[in-house]
Amino acid sequence: MPDSIPASLIIDTLKDTFREARAWLAAEVAEPPRHAHLGWILSVPDTHQRTVLAALDKEAVLRVLTCATEDEATTIAAGLWMGGEPCVLMIQHAGLYASVNTLRGVAIDGRVPAFYMIGLLSREKDKDPRESHHSMVRYCEPLLDTFGVPHARLEGPDDVHLIPEYFRLARERRGAAAVLVGLETI
Amino acid sequence: MLKPEDILRAIAAARGDAICVPTMTTAPAWRTLAPDDLSVTCVGFMGGASSLGLGLALARPDRRVIVFDGDGSLLMQLGSLATIAGAQARNLTHLVFKNGVYHTSGAQGIPGGLTVDFVLMAKGAGYRNHPPLHETRDKDGATRRNSCVGRRPEVRRQADQAAGAASRSHATRARDHRARGPGEALPAGHA
Repeated sequence: MPDSIPASLIIDTLKDTFREARAWLAAEVAEPPRHAHLGWILSVPDTHQRTVLAALDKEAVLRVLTCATEDEATTIAAGLWMGGEPCVLMIQHAGLYASVNTLRGVAIDGRVPAFYMIGLLSREKDKDPRESHHSMVRYCEPLLDTFGVPHARLEGPDDVHLIPEYFRLARERRGAAAVLVGLETI
Repeated sequence: MLKPEDILRAIAAARGDAICVPTMTTAPAWRTLAPDDLSVTCVGFMGGASSLGLGLALARPDRRVIVFDGDGSLLMQLGSLATIAGAQARNLTHLVFKNGVYHTSGAQGIPGGLTVDFVLMAKGAGYRNHPPLHETRDKDGATRRNSCVGRRPEVRRQADQAAGAASRSHATRARDHRARGPGEALPAGHA
């Protein structure tokens, strides 16, 4: 049975993920930018991950930029990556559907690493997402499969190790990778 | 009337080490004028140039970033004006080429045509500076242009006082006298 993940655990994991990314960038980028922060969270507010977004407001080392659309968030992520900055996109499934052309153009054709944390809003606790009554839940994984985007489910606190793993995967494959947040964070 | 190539040529001469982000109509011309690695062309996701430029500007606050947007492109991601203003990246210049049409797809008119006021939109979104850019003539007939490019952008406000005949004919049809003739450039301003 899936379980909710505490915001603090996700934030600590993101910090570790960005620290690791900074180490790669220092080795790969000729003149890596020097910033006081560890990395960027690009978000289009997501009810499912709202406790994380609320807690991020108190974090000085994680920069949060709220975007008007997921298209913007994905494209800003491309600019940050080109400039040597690590970032994570926090959106919900509806936003993924709204921005598939940008996902295709930026992360697939443009071969830009883009790591998504996608909230499965309205996902039923006792159902596999692919069997959900809600189309917005049911179609998320099939859509990612169609676009060849590797993905994994965060079904509880024990799964947060998937965040750095799929972040790393996005970088290694020069494309998109996603983790799906199964239940609302707490 | 200013032609896009004239604007691009002026930018190429004054850009210094700025990173430029051309899209759509300006992309091929810019590649010819500035075939170097300091440009990132936005193709394959129309409307993304402004956000791409914002990402670059946030990552590299030590560099100026100049986005060459189109009016049709900006309309596809109009919310980016608010996102850019909110991010407060002071090294980003967002230049909008306003011709009222989707030039590359056959010159179909954009919604609202030339009456759409991008300067007003940028101002409303919270851009710090939002000068219109167009050609002016001195008393002796010499052509002058206001400038928005450089490490410390300078904008000549006298450009607002006199426009060419082609621009005036459009202005009479515009609700706020700011519409520009085909091929004119309009910097929405520095975020």
